[in-house]
Amino acid sequence: MVCDQYRDALEARLDGELAAEEAREIDRHLATCPSCARQFATLAETRRVVSENAMRYTAPDVLKARIRGAVARSASPPVATGTGNKFRWWREIAAGVAIAIVSSSITFMAASRSARAYSEADELLASHVRSLMPGHLTDVPSTQQHTVKPWFNGRVDVSPAVPNLDKAGFPLVGGRADYVRGRVVPVVVYARRGHMINVYAWPSSSQGGSPANDHSRNGYHFVNWRSSTGRCPT
Amino acid sequence: MNEGDLQRFERVVLPHLDDAYTLARYLLRDEHDAQDVVQEASLRALRYFDGYSGGDARAWLLAIVRNCSLTWRKRRRVDERTVPFEDAEDALPTSDADSPDAAAVQASEQARVQQAIASLPDEFREVIVLREVQDLSYREIGDVVGVPIGTVMSRLARARKRLAVLLQIDAREAS
Repeated sequence: MVCDQYRDALEARLDGELAAEEAREIDRHLATCPSCARQFATLAETRRVVSENAMRYTAPDVLKARIRGAVARSASPPVATGTGNKFRWWREIAAGVAIAIVSSSITFMAASRSARAYSEADELLASHVRSLMPGHLTDVPSTQQHTVKPWFNGRVDVSPAVPNLDKAGFPLVGGRADYVRGRVVPVVVYARRGHMINVYAWPSSSQGGSPANDHSRNGYHFVNWRSSTGRCPT
Repeated sequence: MNEGDLQRFERVVLPHLDDAYTLARYLLRDEHDAQDVVQEASLRALRYFDGYSGGDARAWLLAIVRNCSLTWRKRRRVDERTVPFEDAEDALPTSDADSPDAAAVQASEQARVQQAIASLPDEFREVIVLREVQDLSYREIGDVVGVPIGTVMSRLARARKRLAVLLQIDAREAS
């Protein structure tokens, strides 16, 4: 039986909530009372086992990106519409053919002139929307390009460009492998003010580059380009 | 909100998102719900940042996360009796034990502790997480939960008693 007058004090002693003099008094008591000492040891062991083994979780990068995006948006005026500087980021992205989809209600771009491109866009849209469901966005969540780029080695047959676009306001969220039109393709994911941008890449049989081509579809914004130099045309 | 306040918010509040997410995971026991609640709580924190008086920003954010979690639970009517098993797997990567056997033992110990915490009633689970995981003082826990320190102490004592039984901890074996 624990001595009544010390019942609460044992917990407080354990949690470091007692003043020095009170703590000394408890310690003196523990030295002479086996039953309180045993109770104290049980408490201390419980505390140790729980605090050493309880999980500390890390908030997913995509969640942090969403929050930072929403916070930034709350202070700055909305993104201006029209063409211009805001598209500069995809000039930096090098790939054979890349299609970027942005979920944004402000600007829309897409790739679709032929029936084939049309159904390709269907698949990309489905892949994009699926990626926005919880837990589907990235296989390798990381804001480090040096973590994301090597992850694709051996998983896909193209090595996508993974530029650092932090300064342009497009933090890297991660990468994943996806399956589009019968190909396993690399997808590099960026965030922009709480929106997610999926950049897909695959090899092209055509020579040379093509100008960037834009389109909207179901409220999503597509950009399509082909490049032999590894840069996106303006 | 002006640029200066915003920068201050990013500096003092956003670094605690991992702790906010950890609390939400324990309170809601679902990673997707936890993500939604942390996002909601962060935006609410931003909205009420004027009311933040400059104390411990972490405890302040955790209080908002706790309130949002409670609202969320009421809205979603989460079945309080279910205990997801996924945490046992989540526990593996954080193991820093040096041999595979030790790692396995530690992982199973983590799973056991995780199960024990998950099985506590809400009012006990939150004080245990705030104390043992977030390392808050009695006063901070009282502020987060909105109860007097005496209530914090009695809940903590009862929670530990239950955990000791669940984890079969007894000083006769421990010492």
